Amino acid sequence: MFKLDRKSIVIGTSAFAASAFLLTAVGCSASNSTSANAASAGTTGTADVYAIKNKTAIDGGVTYVRAHGVDSAYRYNEQITKGVSFGRPATANEIAAWDIDTLPDGTGLPEGEGSVEEGDELYEAQCASCHGEFGGGGNGYPQLTGGNKSKDENGVVITLKNQRVYGSTDAPKRTIGTYWPVATTLFTYIRDAMPYANPKSLSNNEVYAITAYLLAQDGIVIDGEEMTEDYVLNAEKLAKVVLPNRNGFYPDIDGLNGTDPIENVRAFYADRATNIGAGTRCMTGCKDPGGIDGKTEASVVEIGYEMSDISPAYSTARDLPPEVEDKSISQAEKMYNDSCKLCHASDNMGAPAVGDIGTWDQVMVKGLDKVVHNAVAGMGGMPAKGGNMDLSDADVKAIVEFMVDSSKNKH
Amino acid sequence: MNKEFETEELASVSRRDFFKRTATVSAAAAVSILAPATLLADDENIMHHTKWGTSLGYEVNKFPYGLPSKYEHNVVRRTSPLMSSAGDMHAAISMTPLHELNGIIVPNGLHFTRTHNGVAEIDPNKFRLMIHGLVEKTIVLTLDQLKRYPSESRILFMECPSNGAAEWKGPQFGSLQMVRGMMACSEWTGVRLSVILDELGLKPEAKWMLAEGSDGSEMSRTLPIEKVLDDCMLVYAQNGEALRNEQGYPVRLMAPGWEANLCVKWLKRLEFGDKPWYAKEETSKYTALVASGRAIQHFYANETNSIITSPCPEKPWTDLKTGDLVEIQGLAWSGHGTIRGVDISFDGGKNFVEANLKGLVLPKAWTRFSYMYKYEGKPLLLQSRSYDDSDNVQPTVNQEKKVVGVEGVYHRNAIHTWAVNAKGEVSNVQIRS
Repeated sequence: MFKLDRKSIVIGTSAFAASAFLLTAVGCSASNSTSANAASAGTTGTADVYAIKNKTAIDGGVTYVRAHGVDSAYRYNEQITKGVSFGRPATANEIAAWDIDTLPDGTGLPEGEGSVEEGDELYEAQCASCHGEFGGGGNGYPQLTGGNKSKDENGVVITLKNQRVYGSTDAPKRTIGTYWPVATTLFTYIRDAMPYANPKSLSNNEVYAITAYLLAQDGIVIDGEEMTEDYVLNAEKLAKVVLPNRNGFYPDIDGLNGTDPIENVRAFYADRATNIGAGTRCMTGCKDPGGIDGKTEASVVEIGYEMSDISPAYSTARDLPPEVEDKSISQAEKMYNDSCKLCHASDNMGAPAVGDIGTWDQVMVKGLDKVVHNAVAGMGGMPAKGGNMDLSDADVKAIVEFMVDSSKNKH
Repeated sequence: MNKEFETEELASVSRRDFFKRTATVSAAAAVSILAPATLLADDENIMHHTKWGTSLGYEVNKFPYGLPSKYEHNVVRRTSPLMSSAGDMHAAISMTPLHELNGIIVPNGLHFTRTHNGVAEIDPNKFRLMIHGLVEKTIVLTLDQLKRYPSESRILFMECPSNGAAEWKGPQFGSLQMVRGMMACSEWTGVRLSVILDELGLKPEAKWMLAEGSDGSEMSRTLPIEKVLDDCMLVYAQNGEALRNEQGYPVRLMAPGWEANLCVKWLKRLEFGDKPWYAKEETSKYTALVASGRAIQHFYANETNSIITSPCPEKPWTDLKTGDLVEIQGLAWSGHGTIRGVDISFDGGKNFVEANLKGLVLPKAWTRFSYMYKYEGKPLLLQSRSYDDSDNVQPTVNQEKKVVGVEGVYHRNAIHTWAVNAKGEVSNVQIRS
């Protein structure tokens, strides 16, 4: 088969793209290593599977060459698509109706206002059943407020450092006051998605009121002003809220200090080993020390308390499911479908057809008992019970009645 | 009583009798397939006509939309109250039965499902998609108009970044399905966003895209333009048919390899802007709190990962005997690129051997791996470790824990361990300190 010398490929040129096509066409038989990449991953020298365009994509991953009708494993139609245009422009009113999102600086917040006191009443009526008194949780749905907002000397909210394997028995509290970065999110989410079972039912004033109430529960101070019962929240004031954990997130997607947010993200994901954890391709005699001291040898940890409330219950059996009675058709019709329909659905086979009331009228002149007797014993071209010997005589009688009745109904 | 059902009952009784009568003989037969045939009892399933061979089957179009065999009724998604708020199954997750799947395509009815406000049922005639913001031309598309654009199909995994989240602090679930079932892999068909944007004209200051759903939670997320232009799609089909309601019918965003949460379902609006939006599901949720007390935001790609699917707790090796040659197989995937290989350990990560990949090896898709193993009836600690063409190697529990701690919820991709005991039973354990 064709062999490809990967080392001769110059990244980013059309020659590379053409090689990519060949690589695909021959079923990836290339065997030489892209040594630099392989070495850093500790691999034993496996070639890249597909032609790579970019090893430093924003997510830390690769992107693939897309050229000359080949994109990684796929072929594509390389004819020009520029000029394909369907649909129509959005009207100004349509954009205004749908473009109601908000940004952290308050952009997009609507007119309106609501007080902490009004929010209290609304919260009790529409929110507390799920999110608990004062937003404190306890009903299985997210806790919204509470938690200790104090910070350590580095400005980190202390509760967020709780790790339930290294001595801490408390979970980190992730509430509006301890965790959420911006308050505009709270307004938008309540307006668009709450109350849970009746979303988009609150007026903007009501949303401001509930937002005010929740921020007040967490002791948020806006522009030096405490949120007392009569505090009235509006767009201008909400835009000024600085939540305690505003700076608790990274990478920096806001480009603070004039940095490029996109490059911040790219740099963060490029450094996987220290930022999000990365493995090594050790093959023999591997040690895996861990623990808070970085020395404790790993051991086998079994399930302590198994989560076994599973629905439907576990089973890999290939058996019949519990029978669900089909009430849409009678038992007689079901037996007819299974055993008689083949011949009696039409007169092609010389049998009286269901629906042909004229023929059935002639048959029934003999009387029901005689007809059933013939059906059980067989008659003419029809074998006894139509060959279905597992039918009882009563079954046959029920089927005959069904056939006669159906014929009448269809007539 | 249903006649058909009665017959099946009789058939199963006779199968039971068969196992009773042949129990001792079977044990002898189990020694070797070369055992003298005279020792073996005749199998009634061979010696007698079957019900299905002696009667008419059902009519060709009895099920205009086909169904699996009724005997496959246990191959279903499963969920647990732990995967919900207070047992409320409107904001919850159901898990793909990985142990029953073959190849790399998940049947649409078994694709895992995560919803934040129930499964929306959208009238496709009323579906509208709006694209606006920092573009030269805005656009409103109906579903039919979107389908007029040139389409592409890609086989891609879809994984919730919470996959495995119940196990940060230790093993909790006794099944593959609940341990790793928040993912699936399908062939998705739709329109590359770059094709539409090429015509609309992105303004130079456009850096981010807001994708917004139309369900009750109005789920929305911010994505960087670089990804949008590289490989994002507006998909309306999975495995050849329309998206299921659970997957965002009629249109969802596809951001290949990235958090399924970013692949916004029931899509309604795309807005281009110069700043990120800070939507709820990228602030209070879908951010990963690490041990330092700070949190990773804008967490995008699902990292390289793998899991052995056979054996697993649901599909143990209890029927094997010493000396049997058996296939170990599993799934590997990476949102950063293409799986290069998978290593397997039998001793809990002290030593590894290279497994073989099999079937299609595609970017950002499930990749099957395989290893032939001679069963010895000895306890094992089975692990798989994947690596990809983006230089990622799957970390151990300790390697990951050391950097991010155990409270992050999202993006857990540590090496998984199955303990196989001397009887061939399989249980979920972790190798950690």
